[in-house]
Amino acid sequence: MARKIEDILDNCLERMFKGESIEDCLKDYPGQASELEPLLKTSAVFIQKSAAIKPAPEFKARARPQLQGLLYAKREKKKEKIPIWHRKWAVAMTTVLVIVLVSVGTVAASTNALPDEPLYSIKLTTERARMALVFSDVGKTELHIQFAERRAGEMVEMARQGKSDKVLMLTEQVAKHSAEVCVAEEAKKGEEKEPKLLVPAPTATPAPPREAEAYNEKDAKELKIVLSQSRTESLDALRNALDKAPEEVKPVLKRAIENIAKDYDRTISIIESGSSP
Amino acid sequence: MSIEKDVVSRAIKGDGGAFAQLYEEHFDKIYRYIYLKVGNQAEAEDLTQEVFVKALEAISSYKWRNLPFVSWLFRIAHNQAIDYLRKQSKVEKVAWDNNVTRVDEPTPEVIAERSLEVEELADNIKKLPPAQRDVISLRFGAELSIAEVAKALGKNPGTVKALQYNGIAALRKMMLGEG
Repeated sequence: MARKIEDILDNCLERMFKGESIEDCLKDYPGQASELEPLLKTSAVFIQKSAAIKPAPEFKARARPQLQGLLYAKREKKKEKIPIWHRKWAVAMTTVLVIVLVSVGTVAASTNALPDEPLYSIKLTTERARMALVFSDVGKTELHIQFAERRAGEMVEMARQGKSDKVLMLTEQVAKHSAEVCVAEEAKKGEEKEPKLLVPAPTATPAPPREAEAYNEKDAKELKIVLSQSRTESLDALRNALDKAPEEVKPVLKRAIENIAKDYDRTISIIESGSSP
Repeated sequence: MSIEKDVVSRAIKGDGGAFAQLYEEHFDKIYRYIYLKVGNQAEAEDLTQEVFVKALEAISSYKWRNLPFVSWLFRIAHNQAIDYLRKQSKVEKVAWDNNVTRVDEPTPEVIAERSLEVEELADNIKKLPPAQRDVISLRFGAELSIAEVAKALGKNPGTVKALQYNGIAALRKMMLGEG
């Protein structure tokens, strides 16, 4: 099958690029030689002249350092460049870290806060958050016991500072947590369908603001009565719960009963000594 | 992996030495191609440098597609040359309309420095229809094979061969003063 003249021309051009002569090519295509020869001669001129087309040496001498400069700049830029997602991630992580550090620091600082201190509300909020994050009944009971102990400890310190209003408020809190422990245990036993406070919170008459330094005799007497009543009711509630509590909670509850009893006794003792003439 | 593929892969990863190697290897071919298209030495030099600057900027996104790396460079060079010629045709038109000397008229000093034959060659190529001019520039200027030219221009090899034949025939006529 006869080859197209375009194919033959291209074949000859390839051979000429590799250094063959026009004559070598024409020998292989005698039938097309007359048509092919002028085209190959023109091509030979173009191949020869094209090879002579070169950029001026002084231009290349100028251009090379310019490109090297760009390469260097690109490398430096790459070193400095932090991917956008890295930067966003870093900002987010830093923000979270700052928040966590501030929060952890604040929460840690609030652990020892007393009812008349600014961080006390954070302490209570943290306790509520902990309670909300615990889903098991046993876990909740343990937390109520722990918080009742805390309130009892704070009660002692408030009594020491002569802040009877705070002492009264804390007796309510101890009673409330003690009652929650009791309700939880009752509910588990199925003895109560509706949760209710077995031990009503002491209905102490709101105490007027008092001086912190010392208790007068009348106040001390009233306070002792409220405290004694609260002690009895809170401890009764806890002892009642102890009978029905699961074995794993019992040691915690026993220790809490002892501590809370001691704390009540200490508080009453402080008030008694503070009212002594 | 071929040597070229290895060099290109390193250049993609930011190896400046590898890119410099590609620059040295292909600069003259790209220059020749652009010169044959624009017919002006100073412009061809600047455009060739711009091709490599653009290639440097885009090399990180280069994807290997079983084509010689130079095909990618020619694509950039082709676009650069087209942009230049488009701008030139506007400038020339304005200059002509205002009866002002053509802005790309070479100075006597430049003419003296050039090989007349080479300039004549470029001038003749510029007179070809664009498709033939592209094929002749890539074939004679860059010495690409028909298959490579076809891939670079997105045409089939048969079409490229026909354009090559017609382009050479047209140049022959111009050389004989028949064009």
